[in-house]
Amino acid sequence: MQMLMQTIVTGLAVGGIYALMAVGYSLIFSILNFSNFAYGGIIMLGSYMGFYALTLLHVPFAAALALSMLGAAALSFLNERIAYSSLRKRHAPSLYFMISAMGTSIFLENMVYATLGSSYNAYPEIFGQSSISLFGSTIGKLDLFAIIFSLIAIYIMNYFIQHTRTGIAIRAASYDSEVSQINGVNLSAVIGLVFILAGLLAGVSGVFLGMKYMAYPTMGWITNKAYISAVIGGLGSLPGAVVGGLILGVLESLVSVYVSSLLRDVFSFTFLIVLLLVMPSGLFGKYLEEKV
Amino acid sequence: MLKVDELNVYYGRIHALRDVSMQVESGKVVSMVGANGAGKSTLMMTLAGVLKPESGTITYDNEPLADTPYKVLAQGICLVPERRRLYANLTVKENLMMGAHLRKDRAAINTDIDRMMDLFPIMRERVKQYAGTLSGGEQQMVAIARGLMSRPKILMLDEPSLGLAPLIIRQVFDTIIQLKQEGMTILLTEQNAFQALEISDYAYVLETGSVSLHGPGKELLEDTRVQEAYLGIKQKTVKEL
Ligand SMILES: Nc1ncnc2c1ncn2[C@@H]1O[C@H](COP(=O)(O)OP(=O)(O)OP(=O)(O)O)[C@@H](O)[C@H]1O
Ligand SMILES: [Mg+2]
Repeated sequence: MQMLMQTIVTGLAVGGIYALMAVGYSLIFSILNFSNFAYGGIIMLGSYMGFYALTLLHVPFAAALALSMLGAAALSFLNERIAYSSLRKRHAPSLYFMISAMGTSIFLENMVYATLGSSYNAYPEIFGQSSISLFGSTIGKLDLFAIIFSLIAIYIMNYFIQHTRTGIAIRAASYDSEVSQINGVNLSAVIGLVFILAGLLAGVSGVFLGMKYMAYPTMGWITNKAYISAVIGGLGSLPGAVVGGLILGVLESLVSVYVSSLLRDVFSFTFLIVLLLVMPSGLFGKYLEEKV
Repeated sequence: MLKVDELNVYYGRIHALRDVSMQVESGKVVSMVGANGAGKSTLMMTLAGVLKPESGTITYDNEPLADTPYKVLAQGICLVPERRRLYANLTVKENLMMGAHLRKDRAAINTDIDRMMDLFPIMRERVKQYAGTLSGGEQQMVAIARGLMSRPKILMLDEPSLGLAPLIIRQVFDTIIQLKQEGMTILLTEQNAFQALEISDYAYVLETGSVSLHGPGKELLEDTRVQEAYLGIKQKTVKEL
């Protein structure tokens, strides 16, 4: 019972990070209708920025987190302006965006290999190995912090999207970008903003992933889990992305503990394939009809 | 005054508008009638800044009209697109807010939302409902209201009667007349040529991308060429009146 509880909490902590990534990825998917494979690269660079802020600049953790968020936001914005904006202006089909995204992703990964090397960089201990007791089980402080901070970040993001005029414009542009422009939306500015918001979340996830698993060039691969989360929840739905991330995190954690940690990823991708077969629109999705 | 001169618009190699010239004087209702595929929507979308003309000029009060949609709206020209195209994922109220996207006067926006409810009372019970769940007639009312929320100087309505029942069509035209009485300038496209010409101060007939006839609405109603081509089934109605 205690082990189950602990497994679930660990799962929620990882799930919270998946949820962060899935929300960022879904935001971009909703407005541009393509899978931004470069998002993993942005998360990886965010993780490196957090690492160097802590180890070279020796700033406090909060400042490192803020720097990583701002840096990832700037990179995400540049990613759109350099790799996608010209395709967008030429009304290129999604496939071109996807190819450009893949190119960007490979470029970023190899750039880091070439300049910083392929080593794994362990974040300094922030929370120590300390843990606290909750409901009779011990929970690592890092896990607890990750859960709380992820949920707060997602809550703020969701509030912004649902309740501010800019948020309404983002949802409107996701549904019909042409009409939103007729209604006065500067589409280029809104898309830039969406990439900045997704970048902020990428920075947070990069730092948490770095603390949990270290920072290394191919760590962006983990965004595959964000795609799975987004599909579980219903592609393009933000609440879906959050719930999908948490579900995937917990299921993976259960599989690792009770079955075998070697089977974790096999399980995740099998789950994805089965889900696409039986429930292609996910939990909250109206199958690409209603997005964001 | 909105003035279009020798406008040519292409979709790839398809020449959709050929040397179209027309104008809309302020305070007037001007309509564009023509069959399917004549180029009415193309003209509206070009005026709205969505489509780029190959050649020709568009001026508004002697200034060139912007070529980006949000700048055109800022100049006071608002398009209510064909088939309504509401944001189905947004509530009715959020759709209206989107109409006012460029405005900064928060308080006035709220009073305008209220005014829209007076103009279209059926909307009042539906403000919190998703626009995608409304009936076609209700959607058209919201689409017009969304356009009005920008407080435009010229309202462009692209086939507002499309797919609606006769009673609702009557309501749409009544609304147009009411807006005209309040001093709004309206550019209207319609396949419902009879009703459009009746309420228009001036009208243009568009045929495969070119203006074939133009004149005051009532005059075109009397024109035999228009009667044969566009009012065929309405002939009886004309005589009965
Ligand atoms: N996106 C497009 N790509 C290619 N051709 C187009 C496109 N949109 C319209 N056309 C063509 O341009 C011409 C004018 O179309 P338009 O939609 O302006 O006509 P319309 O007068 O609005 O017709 P309707 O009454 O059916 O709405 C048509 O021949 C149409 O096939
Ligand atoms: Mg049309």
